[in-house]
Amino acid sequence: MEKLPDEVRSWLYNYVYTERYVAYLKIDTDLVVAQKGGKLDHYGLSSLRIGKPVAEQIELMEGLLTDIELPLHMPMMELPNGQVADLHLFDGNAGTWVLFLDATAERDNQQRMQQKAYEMTLLQERERQLNEALLETNEALRQTQEGLSREYARSEALLLNILPASIAERLKTQEQIADNHSDVSVLFADIVGFTERARSVGAEPTLAVLNSFFKAADQLSEQYGCEKIKTIGDCVMVVAGLPVARPDHAKALANFALNIRNAGGRLSFGGVPLRLRIGIHSGPIVAGVIGKRRFAYDLWGDTVNLAARIQTSAEPDEIRISDATHKLLGPGSACDPLGAIELRGAGRVEIWRLVA
Amino acid sequence: MLQRKICMLGGFGVGKTSLVRRFVKSIFSETYLTTVGVKIDKKSVELPDKTVDLILWDLAGEDDIGSFRMSYVKGATGLVLVVDGTRPATLSVALTLRERTEAEFGALPCVVLFNKSDLADRWALSASEIDETKQHGWPAYLTSALTGEHVDDAFRQIASMVVG
Repeated sequence: MEKLPDEVRSWLYNYVYTERYVAYLKIDTDLVVAQKGGKLDHYGLSSLRIGKPVAEQIELMEGLLTDIELPLHMPMMELPNGQVADLHLFDGNAGTWVLFLDATAERDNQQRMQQKAYEMTLLQERERQLNEALLETNEALRQTQEGLSREYARSEALLLNILPASIAERLKTQEQIADNHSDVSVLFADIVGFTERARSVGAEPTLAVLNSFFKAADQLSEQYGCEKIKTIGDCVMVVAGLPVARPDHAKALANFALNIRNAGGRLSFGGVPLRLRIGIHSGPIVAGVIGKRRFAYDLWGDTVNLAARIQTSAEPDEIRISDATHKLLGPGSACDPLGAIELRGAGRVEIWRLVA
Repeated sequence: MLQRKICMLGGFGVGKTSLVRRFVKSIFSETYLTTVGVKIDKKSVELPDKTVDLILWDLAGEDDIGSFRMSYVKGATGLVLVVDGTRPATLSVALTLRERTEAEFGALPCVVLFNKSDLADRWALSASEIDETKQHGWPAYLTSALTGEHVDDAFRQIASMVVG
């Protein structure tokens, strides 16, 4: 090592001693304090006693000197009195030297830099976590929305099964629906001898034939632009001219009637073809939705009652229509006059038979 | 006089200094102040049959495990591993630090503190991850330096382990 000039050595010694608060101990092989000196009071160690075990007097020495490899440097130790020291332990004659050098300034500097860096890292971690949580929440929200629209579509489809589309649409915003329709035709059709036949063939074949009959009614309603309003037992009620008015409502319903009769003829009920009684009348009605939890779109009025009466009076396979309907059909339809017939609750009514 | 050196090990910002302050001085500060180097503190713990002075070495939680200064652990009789329950990555940091002390000084008794249990809505560790540490025979605690929950229990546990 280069030998420094005496003046430099002396300056260095004074500088380090005062600036870094040099303090020292020597600890013998029995771990007892053998020597001490320097600015021990700076480190809160002024009461250190020679001849006593070091670990009892300086807690941080606990366990440190057993099987130790020297030299050992332990930087920046904050002591219980708050001062920060670099500790240097090195071998001496029959003992270990422990040197304290103040490191408060260096520690504070490093702490300032590290504080900024760690705070930044913690913020970034937190930001990433929040972003992940946001993504998860969004995904959950999206799934809930998907589920909701599936449910919505399902209830929409169910609603359309029991109500005309335009009525279903209005029902979403309106509580009650009651519309006057001045010009519609109403049809009733039921199965001849249904009750007796049902009793003899049993429940299952009966349900099967009803199902076929009503399916045919649904399909033909759609085909001829009519609305199937409801079924009552073995009877089906169909209307033409609503919810959207049409001038040829009588014609549409006449076509429906002729075709449903033919469809019945192709169905077998207990080994014989299904035969229908059909009645039609035209006039004004009131249409609306009643009920709150179970919706039912229905028609009311004298027109409806008379159509039902005409239907009851019909013979098997016969389509009976009122004079009003006959006038609307005009010369395009073939009809036979049946004259004035007494109907219960309606008096004598002019009736026609629709042939083709 | 019974005196034992215990080292606090874990990543930065997991709450090592706050846990020591809660245990020794019964206080907590919301302000985060990073530790550089090491802080020495002492606390007496009364066990059923004896009293032990725990010399707590609160080691800086390094950002980079590679720069961890092993010499601080010299002479330690037990470890307190601290994990931040809201930051799952700090679990492997604590476990890696423990492994490195084992390679240098042999296996020391240790307890694992899953800290910041007061931040329930940000908690990010599963029960199975916590149970896994128990399988190694290390008692585990859900602690909060803020509320003090289980802090005394955990330090008393390591105290009884190192005097036993």
